Amino acid sequence: MDNELYSFALKSTLDEIRNLCPDIKNAFMFREDGEITAADESTPRKTIVKIVDSFDGLMEKAETMGGIELITVEGSKGGVNVSRMNNHYLVTVTSQNADKNYLNTITHTLVKTVLKLLEKINPAPLNNNPSEPETETEIRTIKKDEKPTERAEKLAAEDSEQPTKPETVRPEPTANQFMVENIGGLLVAADTVRIDNETLLQWQELYEDRKIEEVEIETFEGKSTRCKIKPVKDSKQEGKGVVQIPQKIQRTLEIRKGELVKVKPVVD
Amino acid sequence: MTKKKKETQMVGQVTEPIVLEATMSVNDLKAKLEELKNRDGVIGYILRNTTSASIDLKDPAKVIDFAVLSSSAIDASKELSNLFDLGNVNSTVVEGRNIKMLSLTIDENRISIFMEKNVDCEALRNTLCAKGPN
Repeated sequence: MDNELYSFALKSTLDEIRNLCPDIKNAFMFREDGEITAADESTPRKTIVKIVDSFDGLMEKAETMGGIELITVEGSKGGVNVSRMNNHYLVTVTSQNADKNYLNTITHTLVKTVLKLLEKINPAPLNNNPSEPETETEIRTIKKDEKPTERAEKLAAEDSEQPTKPETVRPEPTANQFMVENIGGLLVAADTVRIDNETLLQWQELYEDRKIEEVEIETFEGKSTRCKIKPVKDSKQEGKGVVQIPQKIQRTLEIRKGELVKVKPVVD
Repeated sequence: MTKKKKETQMVGQVTEPIVLEATMSVNDLKAKLEELKNRDGVIGYILRNTTSASIDLKDPAKVIDFAVLSSSAIDASKELSNLFDLGNVNSTVVEGRNIKMLSLTIDENRISIFMEKNVDCEALRNTLCAKGPN
């Protein structure tokens, strides 16, 4: 079972909970490391990212009390409940007069059961594969098991309708989706982003005779910029599908940690 | 020289009543918090406003950790409230593995009470929010 199915199962559970309890206005789940695993359709992804960001700091500070098990916020117009389930956090936003005990019983029972089932079916932990927002832009992604040369052949075959000489057929640079990660430190170049080695090697093989020194980053809001590219230093970030972007570029593109961006190599 | 004296007098006249009023309210809250602190399972409290802060914890080594946590929890709940239109935040409860924290804002005073997990924080909140002395 792959991550998409995991996310689908959790999302369906959240949707069902919302159908069952109309007092729940929003529901979503994220992991301890900040990855969003499932969200209902009514909650904008940007809102979730902001919340995960604000909880990130709080969770760090809550280590003094043994981590966070539950957060309850009561406002004059409604409330929020954040509960830890295995290594996930379930966030539910409720209306003012909601029966909180009933809602908690329903959500906890259903979500915990689904999580247990998913773990039994496939004990491997959820990888970083957030549900991707739908876009009209066509994005071609390089599959892990697909060799870059095979891909180049495929792309060449796709373009075969146009009469071109075989030796001059080169695939156009295609965009991959990555999740934004912060990059910090004193010696960080403000104009350079970092991507895992695997992707860089794939690009290198794909465009054998061209040197890839720059990438174009494009947001789903249509903002884009060019910047230098280097491989990630932290081996933990390898294969996670993240792009480490300095704060300055994040501000330029109006993006934040956890958001998705399209990255394609600049092949001159 | 004469001018300086006049300025000093004016400042004194303006600030004195405000300080007195704030102290009254804080003192009332402090008295309630002192009473709550003596209850079983209550670990301590942090009371902050624009002019002063009081921290009373049974384990002084955790003062900074708890102060930072309290501030972060209040900020996070405000952000949640803004994003989901929850209105004024009445209270925030953060439960850890062994400890829980109740944070609330009364007028300009930001209060966080730390307690063991089995303590009924609703009862503590009711006591704090009740008007008049206990």
